[in-house]
Amino acid sequence: MTESIKDKAFQGAITFILCILGIIALIPLLTVIARSFSSKAAADMNIINLWPVGFTLASWKYILSDPGLWKAFFISLSTTIIGTVLALAVTSLMAYPLSKSNFKLGQILMLYVIMTMIFKAPVVPYFLTVKGMGLFNNPLVLILPHILSAYNLAIMRTFFKQFPAEVEEAAMIDGCGYFQMLYKIVIPSSKAVLTTVGLFYAVTMWNQFQHPIMFIQKTGLFPLQLKIRQLINGGSDFANIAAVANVNYTESTLSAATVVFAIIPIIAIYPWLQKYFAKGAMLGSVKG
Amino acid sequence: MKRNKTMALVLAGVMAASALAGCGSKGVTAETSKAGTSGKTEESSAAGEKTVDLEVWYTNTGFLEVKKDGPLYNFYKDMFGVGIVSPYVEWNGGTTYQEQLNLKIAAGEAPDMFMPVNGMEADLVKNGALLDLTDLLPEKAPHLWETVPKEVWDVIRSYDPSGQGRIYMIPSVFDYPLMSAIIRQDWLDKLNLSMPETQEDFLNVLRAFKTQDPNGNGLADEIPTGGRQEARWMDYLFAMYGISMWEGFPQWDIYNGELTYSAVTPNMKDALLFIRDLYKEGLIDPETLLNDKAGWEGKINSDKVGIYYHWAQATYEYATSLESATGVRAEWAVMPPISAPGYEGFYTEKKIKGIQWVLKNTDDQEKIDAAMKVLDAYGNKDLWQKFFLGVEGEHSKMVDGKLMKLPEDKKTMENLVLQPGKDISTIDSITQLLESVKTDETAWSIDQSIANVQKMPNYGKLIAGDGMPNSVYEGYADIMNRTLYVEYASKIITGEYPIEKFDEFVQKWNASGGEAVTKAAREWYEKTQK
Amino acid sequence: MSKKKTSAAVNMGLPKSKTSLIANIKKFWPYYLMVMPGVLFFLLFKYIPLLGSVIAFQDFSVFKGISDSPWVGLKHFKALISYPDFRRIFANTLILGLCKTVLIFPIPVFLSLMLNEVKNLKLKKTIQTAVYIPYFLSWVIVGGLIFDIFGMGGLFNNIRGFFGLDSILIMQKESWFRPIYVLSSIWKDAGWGTVVYLAAISGIDPALYESAAIDGASRFSRIKYITFPLLIPTILTLFLLSIGSFLELGFEQVFNLLTPMTYSVGDIFDTYVYRVGIQQAQYSFTTAVGLFQSTIGLILVLSFNKLANKFSDDGGLW
Repeated sequence: MTESIKDKAFQGAITFILCILGIIALIPLLTVIARSFSSKAAADMNIINLWPVGFTLASWKYILSDPGLWKAFFISLSTTIIGTVLALAVTSLMAYPLSKSNFKLGQILMLYVIMTMIFKAPVVPYFLTVKGMGLFNNPLVLILPHILSAYNLAIMRTFFKQFPAEVEEAAMIDGCGYFQMLYKIVIPSSKAVLTTVGLFYAVTMWNQFQHPIMFIQKTGLFPLQLKIRQLINGGSDFANIAAVANVNYTESTLSAATVVFAIIPIIAIYPWLQKYFAKGAMLGSVKG
Repeated sequence: MKRNKTMALVLAGVMAASALAGCGSKGVTAETSKAGTSGKTEESSAAGEKTVDLEVWYTNTGFLEVKKDGPLYNFYKDMFGVGIVSPYVEWNGGTTYQEQLNLKIAAGEAPDMFMPVNGMEADLVKNGALLDLTDLLPEKAPHLWETVPKEVWDVIRSYDPSGQGRIYMIPSVFDYPLMSAIIRQDWLDKLNLSMPETQEDFLNVLRAFKTQDPNGNGLADEIPTGGRQEARWMDYLFAMYGISMWEGFPQWDIYNGELTYSAVTPNMKDALLFIRDLYKEGLIDPETLLNDKAGWEGKINSDKVGIYYHWAQATYEYATSLESATGVRAEWAVMPPISAPGYEGFYTEKKIKGIQWVLKNTDDQEKIDAAMKVLDAYGNKDLWQKFFLGVEGEHSKMVDGKLMKLPEDKKTMENLVLQPGKDISTIDSITQLLESVKTDETAWSIDQSIANVQKMPNYGKLIAGDGMPNSVYEGYADIMNRTLYVEYASKIITGEYPIEKFDEFVQKWNASGGEAVTKAAREWYEKTQK
Repeated sequence: MSKKKTSAAVNMGLPKSKTSLIANIKKFWPYYLMVMPGVLFFLLFKYIPLLGSVIAFQDFSVFKGISDSPWVGLKHFKALISYPDFRRIFANTLILGLCKTVLIFPIPVFLSLMLNEVKNLKLKKTIQTAVYIPYFLSWVIVGGLIFDIFGMGGLFNNIRGFFGLDSILIMQKESWFRPIYVLSSIWKDAGWGTVVYLAAISGIDPALYESAAIDGASRFSRIKYITFPLLIPTILTLFLLSIGSFLELGFEQVFNLLTPMTYSVGDIFDTYVYRVGIQQAQYSFTTAVGLFQSTIGLILVLSFNKLANKFSDDGGLW
């Protein structure tokens, strides 16, 4: 298939625009990285832009040598991995029947689910309910409240709907049961949506802070985001008489370093997931 | 029929939720009791004595929690025989702290002793959630009873909603004015100017700062003065017109013989006009109304600002940051209040900074006695230095035979929840604290601060609205938030609104609740005058 | 939602008799089993706490709990509507909501279509990663950055100076607030929004493109006639999902971009509730406003879902 000049130009122009957009999109991260490597003097004078001023590793040394940070990291990592797997299982389990038109309860249940996206419980009753389930200071609170998201459920359902009916019909003729259909036929061919929804769940669990703030008080159980907030926390105008510290970091440089630290896994993961988004990841043709 | 059904359903659900919450919180209390974080009588070590533990909540800007049997716990136990436990609760400007506190209260697990925020103590008192301290304090916490002046206790009595003058709160007390305009004395010296005394002098100084390059770098980058967003932290400009203000929040004082909100007085109109003209002439930072703390302080630390407004005792922090950033040793001095023509300027002084502690209402006599022991030690001036220095090796260390406070390290230090020297300060106690953080390298800046804070009593005026409870704003949250004021003031200063809009502001303010709040405030004031 | 039972049943395509349901359960019982964990989850974590919304009709106090707090009916709703600036915050919220739907929502679609055209796989991965990074930074950071860019010594004014123009502080100007809101939203969140669309695009059979190319269709035509139409179910789903929170604009973003000088165009329900509700622990009031916002969201979802069903078979969420 030879590309026409028009097409090549079209592609080239688009690629060029995207490169520019990509660079623009990187700016916020660059400023944070710059800040994490900048000196106290630079932070105090508020003169850091895209590049470190007064380059120093002081902030990084400080946070990387904090065992509390690593502990929080591993807590976040483990709960995210376990939680994502669990979430994918439960979500696909529920999305599959909902995508079937011969499932009588399909429509009511969709309404049932979507309503929870629109109406949100006030904080005090929510707190009391979840606490009442025994989830206070319980690491499970980092997983359980997130294993199903109406949003992700709806997305998975839409994708399942587009799964070619012929394939399923053929499998049924071969004697495949419903559970088998889901786990042996549909899921293996749904890498794209599983990766997408899995990514969404993983990001939600990795970034979570509202549930931990409310339900986790033991500092030993803090996930990463709470640890980050612990560092961003000051900046208040208290009449604190404190001794002058001879250090080359400030609260803002420390929090910048922690923010970068927390983002690294996320940046690293997407390119690795790209292969699941390869073209034609689904068997057969899509209904057009 | 349908309505009954729905009601029944709702009630069933609510009951289910409460039931869940009910068995849940009991379950959780059992859990936390095991972990020893909620107040319960515990056995201590070899002494065989029973130490009562109290759960205390206080501002924590990122320090470690105070765990049972940890260094700080033992330190306090040795000092006054009570175990203090304090979990880490995110502060976040008070918002997260307040919500966490409320959730705990809702679950029936309020801490034993805590610092209330945003006026929540008013609600707490009304609901009988606080311990009545009136008789307990003189008897069991005499040091604290004596340290806090009687006038202040009387104001606290006025907070009793039942009108019986019972005391439910421990105030944070200051006996000197805290904040003032701080000016670069070295710039004045360099430009051969004397400390401004009239508004005319002041304007000349500002203009000189702007045009005569006092920071000597050949660039016209000086910012004579400025402040921060919401027109805060430039109170002294308002103060020239006799306006009482606290950290940028307008206060209540006597105007024209009556207690009035300073933002709606004719003084405010003239003050805004003045500031607007400064803004137009470029004598205040054009980014004043956009500056956040880091932004404004960044400029101060860059050797660009001539006058700022903040705590007199904290000038050493600015001085040391400036030096470490630019190498310049600045001399920051208190600038005495200036009076605009026809007005009398002053720096606002409040004896009551806020409510420092409240105690959970309980019948547990052991807990009550323990709390009183804590409060007594808290009010004992001889112990203040000890409280400040904390645990040796953790918060402080021996330098040449003298115990000196260490710089803050949030990785290793537990939150010092009891800091009476900071919360109940006098000039002497603050001076003492400053001395105990003075090292050879920082002596030059700390001495400046000591000199500054000692000048302050000359410049303060105690305002009539000192100690006004937030309950006067009840029902008018937006008045308490001063949203209208902030909007109008900002726009008048930048010149977007003409000064005539001020009258519109006063009208709107009155109509949207200002009038009702003024009435409540005046009623409160009448009560305290007796 | 119609009030009559029968028409509701007809609208949702449910059988009028219960026997069909039982037959359905008998025949498709695995389906019913599959949805049970999910149904339980939503019940426990969403619906039971949601019952607590009744506090919107009370003067809820954390001391008294739901059972003892006094009932006040529509007091808080009335307070909301009679707030002198209610019209302003309602209008601002509506306008920003419209901006979100009309201006911001389509961007990830275009962005993903464009990304799909990048030939070099490595470059594609890099750009994709780059554009989705800002999503993970908080609005505190991005907001602060915007203030810096448009501040006195910032990029914007430096460029102006280069062209001989005076510096202006646009963050103080009302007329700039909405454009900044839109552009910053796109900057921060559009990249992340492409993830779903790219996943959907990857599901398109390459054979379709091949045959179109053989027929002489340009890349642009292929996008227009193949890719885009096949994306429509996904676009519809995401649209319906976002319209339910039409009035909930993301407190973090507006809060971090707002200044008192732009209240008149930027103050929205969420920021108002934050000042008055959350900071004063006015749980009842906060809940009432939330219910108000949600109800409008519900009406919108129901209406658009109906439209979506008309537009394409199965286009709606139910």
